[in-house]
Amino acid sequence: MSFNDWHEQQRVTEFLYHEARLLDAHRWAEWLDLFTPDGLYWMPLVHGQTDYLNHASLFLEDTLLRSMRVRRLEQARAYSQQPMTRTAHVTGNVSIASREPDGITVASTLQVLEWRKGDPRSFGGSVQHTLKTHGDGWRIQMKRVELINCEAPHEALQVFL
Amino acid sequence: MPTTSTTLAADTPPHALVHGDRVHKRVYTDPAIFELEMDRVFGRAWLYVGHESQVPKTGDYFTTRLGREPVIMLRHSDGEVHVLYNRCPHKGAKIVPDGSGSAGKFLRCLYHGWTFKCDGSLLSVPLRSGYEDTSLDLKDPQNGVRKLARVATYRGFVFASMVAEGPSLPDFLGGVATSLDNFCDRAPEGEVEVAGGVQRVIQRNNWKIFFENLHDTVHAVATHESSWRAAKEEFESMPEGTPKPFEIVIVDGNGEPLEFWEKLELKGYDGGHGYMEGIFTPPQDPISLAYVAALEASQGAARTDEILRVNRHNTIVYPSCSPHTSFQQIRVIRPLAVDRTLVEIFTFRLKGAPDSTFQRALKYTNVVNSPSSNVMPDDLEAYNRVQEGLGSDGGDWVSLQRAAGRDQPLPGGCSSNGNSEMPMRNMFRAWAGYMAAPKGQE
Repeated sequence: MSFNDWHEQQRVTEFLYHEARLLDAHRWAEWLDLFTPDGLYWMPLVHGQTDYLNHASLFLEDTLLRSMRVRRLEQARAYSQQPMTRTAHVTGNVSIASREPDGITVASTLQVLEWRKGDPRSFGGSVQHTLKTHGDGWRIQMKRVELINCEAPHEALQVFL
Repeated sequence: MPTTSTTLAADTPPHALVHGDRVHKRVYTDPAIFELEMDRVFGRAWLYVGHESQVPKTGDYFTTRLGREPVIMLRHSDGEVHVLYNRCPHKGAKIVPDGSGSAGKFLRCLYHGWTFKCDGSLLSVPLRSGYEDTSLDLKDPQNGVRKLARVATYRGFVFASMVAEGPSLPDFLGGVATSLDNFCDRAPEGEVEVAGGVQRVIQRNNWKIFFENLHDTVHAVATHESSWRAAKEEFESMPEGTPKPFEIVIVDGNGEPLEFWEKLELKGYDGGHGYMEGIFTPPQDPISLAYVAALEASQGAARTDEILRVNRHNTIVYPSCSPHTSFQQIRVIRPLAVDRTLVEIFTFRLKGAPDSTFQRALKYTNVVNSPSSNVMPDDLEAYNRVQEGLGSDGGDWVSLQRAAGRDQPLPGGCSSNGNSEMPMRNMFRAWAGYMAAPKGQE
């Protein structure tokens, strides 16, 4: 589905870039505020997964769990954050997946380089942002990140991608 | 008894690296010891393969790794579950790809089209006449896909052993068979099934470090400070009177003081197995009450009470898996290298229980055991620092001495208080027993 105009394209892509910048900068509080109260951060365990209630996931975090993760990352004795995880997000291939009366669903492609210690890790996959209109912007009702290697064994995933 | 400064000769036999209440660092760091473990421990013990529910129909298969062997668990047309080496007898190709699926009515090798029945026996080869008057006898059962020497099932849980001689599966399980019983008894229909996918985590540490941590209560308050504090802070930020959410209960519990853990009795059984007793507290949330009602409707109140009184934290089935009966999961431990371990987390559905029971088990899996767990990364960091620290010349021995000499004997094992290092000593007793005898001397 194509953008209505250049202005809409710019607003949508800038929203995604802003979200990615908050993650890379560890500006967690501002990132948490991007979600609706019922918002979900979801990383499926298998390709094409549609059910997160009756199937395990890599991440399935509501407001409580997102907040708890951020609190943990900021603890002095988070030994697995010595050093802290650093990420570099690149977002591309942004398009409108669908339009709803109260918002839009945006599809994009994501690449993230992550480093904590040892060798850097790279992640890639497709992302779907379900955005609800909020003032003159949006709030995220669902961010679904499907890694191309979601079924593979992983070392610990500590930060949001 | 050697002193702590003793340096062992490089040719010390492996079982001599275990001194009862301490072990030499080489058991965790020496690649040659790891290879010997593959032969003598994993090449001999009953190893957990999978659950029958993963291969419901004829031809259904599931692949895994036992020791260093790639294997296939599959369902034959007679209903039996077989465990075969995933290796074609012709050129050696892995016959089925890693993962699970259906082979149809028979196995067919991708390379030259040799076919086999689902019990591994040879069905057909192309150019059969080419083998006439050669040394290859196609009628010899040895020329099928090789089976594991022994396969046995305990209430749907499939185990295999690579040697023909040794204790039967029930004798091997000994005192932890009751954990597998309780795992199934908790289902209103008395059976469980694997569901909801499998999570896989890579650890950068020796497999034994993970096993030891399963009954290491003393690490919880120290290692998990970041997650239990985060959970407590999260709960404190909620409005006064909010019932403590499940997601917080299962994370902030690690912040309990050492006196709490001391009261949780540990049991250790021959073979390195064991479990940790929990303290029975009747659950009162709506999901638990609906589950108890379903169990009572099927089993009656008295039997339900008896089943739920068996309240255990991690069980250890040494050296291949750890069932958690009350959260319906089995963690399967697969050593990949001396310093690399794969842990696979399978969640089970209790047949006859409400969907909400299974969904809560998945929540436990997602929050506590998935690669994104808030609890596990600090464990993995600790294991990795142990692995890296043990490479140092700063010391040769690892202490297992807490509460040594105070274990209480039990039939087939012993018990201790929750803070004892008895489980580690018990696992190394079994380990030394396996390692003392060369392969072929079962």
